[in-house]
Amino acid sequence: MNYNKKTFCLFAGPIIIAFLMVLVIPLLIGVYYSFTEWNGRMDQVPNFIGLSNYIAIIKDEGFRNAFIFTAKFTVVSVIVINAIGFSLALLVTKKLKISNFMRTIFFMPNLIGGLILGFIWQFIFMGVFQTIGEITGWTFFQGWLADANTGFWGLVIIMVWQMSGYLMVIYIAALQNIPKSLLEAADIDGANGWAKTRHIIFPMVAPAFTISMFLTLANSFKLFDQNLSLTNGGPGGSTEMLALNIYKTAYTFTNYGAAQAKAVVFFLLVASITMVQVYINKKKEVEM
Amino acid sequence: MKNYMKGLMVGGAMLLTACGGGTEQKEEKTVVDIFQFKVEIAEQFDELSQIYMDTHPNIEINIETVGGGDDYGAALRAKMASGNEPTIFNVGGPQDVYDWQDKLVDLSDVELAGKAFDGALSGATLDGKVYGLPFTQEGYGFIYNKELLKKAGIDAKTITSYESLETAVKMLDSKKEELGLEAVFATAGKETWVTGLHYSNVALAQEFGSVFDAYNAKNVEFKYSGGMKKLFDLQIDYGRTPINATDYSTQVERLFSMKKVAMTQQGNWAFGSVKGIDEELAKNIGFLPMPIVGAKENALPVGIPMYWTVNKDLSEAQIKAAKDFLNWMYTSETGKDYVINKFNFIPPYKGFDGDNLQPKDPLAKDIMAFSEAGNTIPWVFMGYPTGWGMETLGVELQKYIDGQITWDEVTETAKASWSESRK
Repeated sequence: MNYNKKTFCLFAGPIIIAFLMVLVIPLLIGVYYSFTEWNGRMDQVPNFIGLSNYIAIIKDEGFRNAFIFTAKFTVVSVIVINAIGFSLALLVTKKLKISNFMRTIFFMPNLIGGLILGFIWQFIFMGVFQTIGEITGWTFFQGWLADANTGFWGLVIIMVWQMSGYLMVIYIAALQNIPKSLLEAADIDGANGWAKTRHIIFPMVAPAFTISMFLTLANSFKLFDQNLSLTNGGPGGSTEMLALNIYKTAYTFTNYGAAQAKAVVFFLLVASITMVQVYINKKKEVEM
Repeated sequence: MKNYMKGLMVGGAMLLTACGGGTEQKEEKTVVDIFQFKVEIAEQFDELSQIYMDTHPNIEINIETVGGGDDYGAALRAKMASGNEPTIFNVGGPQDVYDWQDKLVDLSDVELAGKAFDGALSGATLDGKVYGLPFTQEGYGFIYNKELLKKAGIDAKTITSYESLETAVKMLDSKKEELGLEAVFATAGKETWVTGLHYSNVALAQEFGSVFDAYNAKNVEFKYSGGMKKLFDLQIDYGRTPINATDYSTQVERLFSMKKVAMTQQGNWAFGSVKGIDEELAKNIGFLPMPIVGAKENALPVGIPMYWTVNKDLSEAQIKAAKDFLNWMYTSETGKDYVINKFNFIPPYKGFDGDNLQPKDPLAKDIMAFSEAGNTIPWVFMGYPTGWGMETLGVELQKYIDGQITWDEVTETAKASWSESRK
């Protein structure tokens, strides 16, 4: 096979240049700004203040609370979304007459953009639930999004509702790749449903697990749109996630340097957590 | 030979993509992008711009509205950072004018600037130059349902102090059943601008005196903390729960307009929302003052909410088009008609004489009545440090409503944050 350096540069060049300009260079510039104090105005050169922004992060209670909230949210979301996504996939690959139809229905929530989703669900939680609660007298339905707890579960519900369908599609692809011969052999050997699931399906679906866990982990950690539209961090800043905290530091308080420092920390956090997760998961994958 | 053909095709493809982006139609139209904050007029403003475009075919106006409970300031900064800079945008007062200085066109020579009332331009004037043209005059207070108060046997005109308000509220509360009320107040805890900006202004406007004093103050004392707490507690104790989940739509539309509460803190801009739900009710509402014990009790805060500004970093043609449009809005017959009758504004400009150009809705009329009697206090919240009102004070007040912290903790945190920003 001819490997022509010139052809390679011609084809890959534009993409690499775009990648550098849109991703790498702004990242480096951002790191530079994180060491400065800047109010966002382009006509002034921001003054260099070294590690002050990073030290301030340690003292920043809002950032710490946002981190704890985001971590809790991520753990719950990852578990629930993967469980539901996988169950839906199992359900939909059962060759029922309505399987294809169900597949479409379950995937549809994923098509709605995050911001609109947040507003719609905000109406459901604050309007519909409230009315149901008032009519029936069940306090469970009243006062949603008025405190941190219901705010937390509200966000989880939205996230699960939106992402489960997407994961379902990934798991379907993985499930359909399991050789039927393996499952038939297991049947002949007398394995029941649960044994088959545990010893054949799970290991064979492991690559899909890696991908799905990575997606849910990263997306939950970085969640912004739904956070902004559903609760806007309220009440009292109790449902503010990391991305929203950084956004507010930059745009509401015009403290761009500090926000940039937080963003760098955020990047390192998400990168390291996801890298560890992928590494661990990859080790457990079965090569066919 | 084959490689030569491949190279030619690749080269040709790249040329096409380069061209595709570059060539533009010969556009005669000057584009004016408006990024404004008043949600209540969004539809009507669009209509008005259509009318303008019909008579000025070489101008194209695009309007984007962000506001209500959302953070206009943050959205504007995000929009500017994204590179799609608007031609016309809004600033609130000295803090905003300072933040956006290098982007503002000096509007001192615009025809409209000469027609503004005394003092209406001061909030957007820096170093003697006028950078903003006022939208409208607005006022807020406790909007109340006249019929409900009459049924309860309360004469609204006697409510001129905290004591009289408290008595009236207790009276209404005792008659909740027969009046069909869920509670006396609809308190919008979720809207941090209603609590952190407007509510706080009632007390802080009397501490600072003017928006410039607030803007230049290194510290905030909460001089009227006692009175502030009392009035806030009144709204919590007699407010319809859950308070922290009550937003603008709930307080004005679901509760007040549906007659589930007797009063709610809002401004004359809410008239449109009430009218949209119940036209009859909208004719029978008015303002009660928000009395802070120890300060000027019988007064409504009246001020200029936002100023129109023009972006300096755009073309001459766009800047001129922007100035022309703003002038037209407040001086042409069509513009003036819309301003009064569709936007329900109280214009801070001369030239609105004649009965058909006077604000007609009862809320605007009440504001004008309070103004003429001298019973007003200024709007100083545009002089707060950036983000302090909504994100610090508003958030702390939410925690207070929830019972998580005491009033003293609210003021301590708020004071520390103010001083920190003004160091």
